[in-house]
Amino acid sequence: MKEHIIVRVIASILIPFIQLYALYVIAHGEIGPGGGFQGGVIFSASIILYVLAFGMEEARSRISQKMSDLLSSTGALIFAIIGLLCILAGGSYLEYDQLPLGTPKLASHLGIYGIEIGIGITVAAVLITIFFEMAGRKDD
Amino acid sequence: MFEIAAIVIVLGAILVLYRALKGPRVYDRALAVNIIGTKTVILLALIGFIYERPHFLDIALVYALINFIATIAFLKYMETGGLD
Repeated sequence: MKEHIIVRVIASILIPFIQLYALYVIAHGEIGPGGGFQGGVIFSASIILYVLAFGMEEARSRISQKMSDLLSSTGALIFAIIGLLCILAGGSYLEYDQLPLGTPKLASHLGIYGIEIGIGITVAAVLITIFFEMAGRKDD
Repeated sequence: MFEIAAIVIVLGAILVLYRALKGPRVYDRALAVNIIGTKTVILLALIGFIYERPHFLDIALVYALINFIATIAFLKYMETGGLD
């Protein structure tokens, strides 16, 4: 899409706002609509817009295959580590208020926050990978 | 007041849906789908006012931010035959 300057300019203006909104949705998942999954989907929508406007090679130079694989497993690892930390702190799996982070209410808040961040990273990376694999296929 | 506005928006969306179904060219359909998306943003904001749940404004905002991505993807697919 080298000749479509309107699409490229609008995309480069809007992509930072979409990503900022995705982070807002992830961070405010417990008190508003949204959460980790929705924020991750919005974040991957911004990457899809980048691919549509600037092309696959440019996007793959920003986010390589290795990096998206790494991110998709990092988010699941964050989820599992927070759950296991709850076991180590004396509760059951994902029982946040047993975490040693001040009051139980604050610990529950921070635990849910960390879980949402992990889910967001995983969902964004997996959806980016799915789009790259489907858009890069040439044989059909 | 907001109810009347919401009903008018829905009627307008039905009119545009006729163009999306009928539309002689594919660009008419793409434009109609894009207009329905824009009307959905306003309808979500109005529903937030009607039911007094301001969280609907967040949903309207995300719809406004990402509803044109589908249109761009569709038009790019029509033009180049691929998405990359």
